[in-house]
Amino acid sequence: MEGKRSGSQQHCDLLRKIREFTRAIVEELSNGRSPTILIDRFRNYCTNPNANCCCSYDLSYGKEILTFRKESHVHRLDILLRVLLIVQQLLQESRHGSKRDIYYMHPCIFSEQSVVDQAINDICILMQCSRHNLNVVSVGNGLVMGWIRFLEGGRKFDCINCPNMAHPIPVQVEEVKDIVSVARFILIVEKESVFQRLANDQFCNANRCIVITGRGYPDIPTRRFLRLLIEKLCLPAYCLVDCDPYGFDILTTYRFGSLQMAYDAKYLRCPEVRWLGAFPSDSEKYCLPQQCLLPLTGKDKRKTESMLNRCYLQRDVPKWRSELELMLQRGVKFEIEALSVYSLSFLTKEYIPSKIKGGVHI
Amino acid sequence: MEIASANVICLQVSFCDLQEILPFSSSIGFCKHPLVSSATQRCRLSGEPCRLSVVVKCSLPSDPLLSRISISDTGVGSCLEEFQGLKFSRQSIGDEKWDGMLSVRTTGKCDNEVYHYQLNLKESASARRLTRLPSNPKNGVKFSGTEVILSMFESADALVAEINCFFQKMLMLKIPNVAYELVVERGDAPGSQCEHVFLANESNPLSFSASNLECLKSSIEDYVLKHGYKKEHLKVGSGTAYCTEGHQNTGWMMDTVIAISEISEPISSCFRTSGAKSEVIYFKDFSPCSVSQSSMKALTSIDWRSFGLTLKSIANQGGYAFLEWEGLPPNTRIDIILHSYHKQAVMPSAKQKTQLDRNLIKRAVKLALDDLKEKHAGVLLSAHALKIRSYAPDLAKTIAGLILSSNDSGFQGECFSLIGLQCQGVGGEIVEDCIKKKIISVIEMNDRKSHERSEDVAPFLFEDECLQELDFQEDEYEEGVGFVFLARLYMRFSQLDQLMLKPRILSMGFLESPAWLPIVYWQLEIEHGYSLS
Repeated sequence: MEGKRSGSQQHCDLLRKIREFTRAIVEELSNGRSPTILIDRFRNYCTNPNANCCCSYDLSYGKEILTFRKESHVHRLDILLRVLLIVQQLLQESRHGSKRDIYYMHPCIFSEQSVVDQAINDICILMQCSRHNLNVVSVGNGLVMGWIRFLEGGRKFDCINCPNMAHPIPVQVEEVKDIVSVARFILIVEKESVFQRLANDQFCNANRCIVITGRGYPDIPTRRFLRLLIEKLCLPAYCLVDCDPYGFDILTTYRFGSLQMAYDAKYLRCPEVRWLGAFPSDSEKYCLPQQCLLPLTGKDKRKTESMLNRCYLQRDVPKWRSELELMLQRGVKFEIEALSVYSLSFLTKEYIPSKIKGGVHI
Repeated sequence: MEIASANVICLQVSFCDLQEILPFSSSIGFCKHPLVSSATQRCRLSGEPCRLSVVVKCSLPSDPLLSRISISDTGVGSCLEEFQGLKFSRQSIGDEKWDGMLSVRTTGKCDNEVYHYQLNLKESASARRLTRLPSNPKNGVKFSGTEVILSMFESADALVAEINCFFQKMLMLKIPNVAYELVVERGDAPGSQCEHVFLANESNPLSFSASNLECLKSSIEDYVLKHGYKKEHLKVGSGTAYCTEGHQNTGWMMDTVIAISEISEPISSCFRTSGAKSEVIYFKDFSPCSVSQSSMKALTSIDWRSFGLTLKSIANQGGYAFLEWEGLPPNTRIDIILHSYHKQAVMPSAKQKTQLDRNLIKRAVKLALDDLKEKHAGVLLSAHALKIRSYAPDLAKTIAGLILSSNDSGFQGECFSLIGLQCQGVGGEIVEDCIKKKIISVIEMNDRKSHERSEDVAPFLFEDECLQELDFQEDEYEEGVGFVFLARLYMRFSQLDQLMLKPRILSMGFLESPAWLPIVYWQLEIEHGYSLS
């Protein structure tokens, strides 16, 4: 939903849409009718076992209908309108606010952050825009290091100066410009601990690359920044995650987007991302000792079984699916750090370089 | 016809009085016997001003428990079959109190004489013989009427108390052309006669053509006025339900009037004591009637909650149903009158024995409650609507905020004009208040509509709240959201059975491909008018 037009034009359009939305509600009320708010529903996958689905990021697959007839709907509308009022003010005053700022404007009413998050998503769908268009930003969680330099709103991020030092990923990605890089690839790592291992081992010095971490499930700025780098620099991107269901889920979030933000997935997903490791088959290949392997819990198994049904695995990355099936068959998982069992620098000196060099990624 | 005399005592009747009196009366059961109600029916049928007199004559001091009772009316003449069909009915009058003998004098307007019969109700109806006694000539005078005389082993005081109470209740039907008279004769000495006259039309006369329902409504209004209230304190709803067998209307119907009185301060002690309880006053065939067990069940099964009422308990005290409410505001009381009768004024003997539909009460009460809601905004809102309405101030404030904080004055002007405010520059509170009223009005209307539709429309098919139920994290999501949503749809899908739509949807391949959903949605709307909004 991200447009290509200038920011101020987008703000004007958005404000107009908000006014039209408000006017429609007032008009319905004035005619003695309950406002009917139709919110499109999006998903970035289905679970159709026939694998002949036609899931599309652009088309909604249904609508939610909010009216005054159900208390839960009215509650949701109350929240939605409150957030919309804040957004209107932010846009009119050309200011930015974080989701947390919004939460603290009516903490008793919102009760928890997720309620605000859902309202923001609803507004994005209603106004057909992305979250950052609303001038709502999140506190950045991602980190970047490596052979890259760029500007964000006049602020210079010169990672090249010290390639093994972590920098926060900019929150207002739309403000990022003048990207300069001499990197040969982008490496995405799931966890900050692995990111720090790479930094300590001077990984970027030895391998001309950019390393990014979302520190767990990646937030929107991290994914938008990654997407921007891939687009601008046309570099291959490899992803390194734990060999467990959550690592795999994080991997799919980078490549296919999340279900919650499915309405914006086409602007957040990075189809170029390739899975570097750790594969379930790596435990045998690298002879990991038994004590490094943890049994999958019941929850892990349920999550894995559920993920196997996602249509995009079968359609786009059948090899990923095969590895996931293998994980379920073996019933074990392991962390990336387990690869350090024989040598602390095994990951940075052997595992990653050999995989990239040998093209052992899927 | 003179129905009042110098020594008339007109009783001021109120429901309050009745509620205090009734549970302790009617021990004799005389008034439960159809003799009195058939006299009422004869009066109604005549369509002219009529008098219904009950004369209780005390016997000799040597036998104080023997009373002679005369029930006379100036209605149409009696159709004798009605007496032949009457049952002795031990349930109403005890075997030991009455020998079953009746003396009947009756004449129609066109008759030349007054006929006199005698019969014994203790004989079975099939073997019962009417003994004809010598008639009296009318000498060309045109009149009609009936007098029934019987003797009972019962003290006159007890009988008078019961008949008194009975007539007071009869006044609630407010039959416009009937006056009731109770005469007690305690001997032959001058001044020993006492008369009570009950006038239905006393304070607020109705035309003879007024419908029975109008009479009941008027009666409730009288009651409020008699207690010193103004009409604005009273909200009245009414409805009539018809009894059907298959698709045929049996002719039986039930009128219901429900009154809600709200006052800022209680005026009489009656309100303080009986506010949380409502007596259901039940009439059948224009006579007070005790509430049957099945009627009690019907009253219990009414969905009072959907009208914002919580029924705490229901009690049957001497044949009268008392509904006790929970959480009723202290100065609010509810009165309910039910009246079932045949739509055609027929003589009792010709009436069909019809088992009244238990649902008739439910339907009639619901109609009256719906009527109350329809006529009085904000009354009897369901608990559900009350919850929704509690959001109105916040919603109004936010919507007003969206308008007032906008930097587009044209937009503001449009909105002001939509909500009926003439010019800009109006205060925020006025805008907010105006929007709030509109929101409340919509919510109240929805509540009324939901009652109308609740019986024949299935819930929304595609609404879904699974997103709300999930614990969303910023960019995390729980696997299986899609499953939950689809599962919900499949569950709702089962409801399509009611609409006979399932085969249609199956043929569209719904189950095979959820991608069909929007199309199904569209098809439903187009082909079946199934609104999802």
